[in-house]
Amino acid sequence: MLALLFILFAGLAIGCGLAVVAQRNPLYSAISLIGVFISLACLYVMLAAPFIAAVQVIVYAGAIMVLVVFVIMLLNVEQEERGRPRLKFLVPVAVALSAVLIAEVAFILVSVQEFRVNPIANPSDVGLTHSIGAQLFTRYLLPFEITSILLLMAIVGAMTLARRGGLLSPNARVIPGAQVLPMSLVDPHAEPDDLRPVEAETSDEAARVMGITDQSKRD
Amino acid sequence: MEPQLSWYLALSAILFTIGVTGVIIKRNVIAMFMCIELMLNAVNLTFVAFASFFQDVTGQLFVFIVMTVAAAEAAVGLGIIIAIFRNRESLDVDDASILKL
Amino acid sequence: MDTAIDIVLKLIAITVAFTVVLLIVAYTVLAERRVLGFIQGRLGPNRVGYGGVLQPFADLLKFILKEDIVPDKSTRFIYFLAPVIATMAALMTMIVYPFGPDITIPFTNITIPLTIARFDVGLLYVLGITSIGVYGIALAGWSSNNKYSLMGGLRASAQMISYELALGLSLIGVIMIAGTLDLGQIVENQSAWHGLRWYIIFQPLGFIIYLIAAIAETNRVPFDLPEAETELVAGFHTEYSAMKFALFFLAEYINMFTVSMLATTLFFGGWNVPFIDAFLARGSFLYGLISAIGFIVKVCVFLFFYIWIRGTLPRFRFDQLMNFGWKFLLPLALFNIFLTATLIYLFPNL
Repeated sequence: MLALLFILFAGLAIGCGLAVVAQRNPLYSAISLIGVFISLACLYVMLAAPFIAAVQVIVYAGAIMVLVVFVIMLLNVEQEERGRPRLKFLVPVAVALSAVLIAEVAFILVSVQEFRVNPIANPSDVGLTHSIGAQLFTRYLLPFEITSILLLMAIVGAMTLARRGGLLSPNARVIPGAQVLPMSLVDPHAEPDDLRPVEAETSDEAARVMGITDQSKRD
Repeated sequence: MEPQLSWYLALSAILFTIGVTGVIIKRNVIAMFMCIELMLNAVNLTFVAFASFFQDVTGQLFVFIVMTVAAAEAAVGLGIIIAIFRNRESLDVDDASILKL
Repeated sequence: MDTAIDIVLKLIAITVAFTVVLLIVAYTVLAERRVLGFIQGRLGPNRVGYGGVLQPFADLLKFILKEDIVPDKSTRFIYFLAPVIATMAALMTMIVYPFGPDITIPFTNITIPLTIARFDVGLLYVLGITSIGVYGIALAGWSSNNKYSLMGGLRASAQMISYELALGLSLIGVIMIAGTLDLGQIVENQSAWHGLRWYIIFQPLGFIIYLIAAIAETNRVPFDLPEAETELVAGFHTEYSAMKFALFFLAEYINMFTVSMLATTLFFGGWNVPFIDAFLARGSFLYGLISAIGFIVKVCVFLFFYIWIRGTLPRFRFDQLMNFGWKFLLPLALFNIFLTATLIYLFPNL
């Protein structure tokens, strides 16, 4: 019974994994990757790790892949063109090398002894939320705190990378219909009492009037 | 017959190898990024399998940390990808092979 | 075999729950149209059947028989997949809610739990499945090959992921008080004080944050800009017709129902009807029945509240919505966590 479930979820994971590599359209690859994550979450439940399974769905399938799908949609990524890759025999050599890797791992697995402990047959506290929490906040507190600083670094880094150059002041709200704003409100580098008028119909026009050139904008 | 530890390790190895193949073959940088995430997940599966067959919760804690690191890496990595796209107008890694724009 | 009987019982339970949920959701659509009508000074649909009770079936017939139009240049696989993801994610959360206490069937010794699946990370499971629901909307907007759909889809999914954070954080207060993520255990913790120890007494701020975030999650007024009829044609489901649109429609109302059930379970005592344990033994059949009916009544009160808000409030503009979610609701939810932690430390015996 459990073996059947394992074969089902493992087959699903491997199938979706092959689809991630084989698909040409990145959006289909992303959806297949979500399938891999969900089948791995089911495998975690079979391994008596319900908390990690739930966190896998929330973090990987529900947050990271949403980010990837958004980026694919916003950048309007097309299918990969059928041009020639720079190395002519890239695909056959890659497949051959990965077959060698699998053969090495299979050799190791076959020559190692089997363990008889089965996680479902011996119910224990491992994997329940409170046992994870007990260890995470006492013995492994330092990695936990460092991880939180790492996340802060990621937030700051992502915001810095995704910003366009030459921002308008955050107080500038140009409503369509041609209004006149003082320069101090629109340009963050102007003096606070610079009241020269800026007349614009959209925020882009205001940026152009003030001379904020945006090199990353294409016409 | 219940699934043995070696079954889980074999599955993890296969997923990892598929990820490695993907990183080598793919030309689109977002697809390469997704194959890297596949490799990270294969490693997570190994950790959780060992944690449950050895009745030790440390493996699951490391999976937690690995997931957090993967989330941070995804955020920054996608920011870098967007910056590359803005400057070179192409998501093909073969077009990004020299530093000059 | 034992497992075979188990599986059959679970399948029967799932079928019963599925039917009940679909019936309640169908009648919620009817109730919304009638209640909105009364709020706006008119009668809603009341011709079909006595007072309009057969209206949902008429709607269903209309949806099934409508012509199914597929846009020419859309990505076909994703176009068909998106409503399926939305509905699946909405329905999959049903299984963890406790509809009542364990009932003993009279004259036999069989005890059946009124939860389909009870596992110890129930609340995290609900949050995870809610995160999957974002894909239905984002992929629907993308695959329709229509710029209004894409804008609507991106806006709706951005709104959903922003308010998911506030939703999750507002629930942490309840988890801290209950000490567990298991929804059945949370409801049983609320049966002290003759069934009146509801967590809303301890977490009023958390409840308000949860309510606002839940209304934003389900894309209802006042947060329904991405799918309002006067904006962006119809948002992400512009290009969908007939049965696929019915699936999106259904997914939205089932989401509403799910979120109301979560609010009832966490803040309003779940199946605890106050003061009935004074004259009914716990575990008896009548107690279980009244508790289950009490649960459904509480959920329906929440659904009425949703409909009432829809008839009363204007809608937010999109940047006001995002501002509100990130700059006001999220810090407030964090403050709620600190406040709860301080109060638990100061009064550990409540």
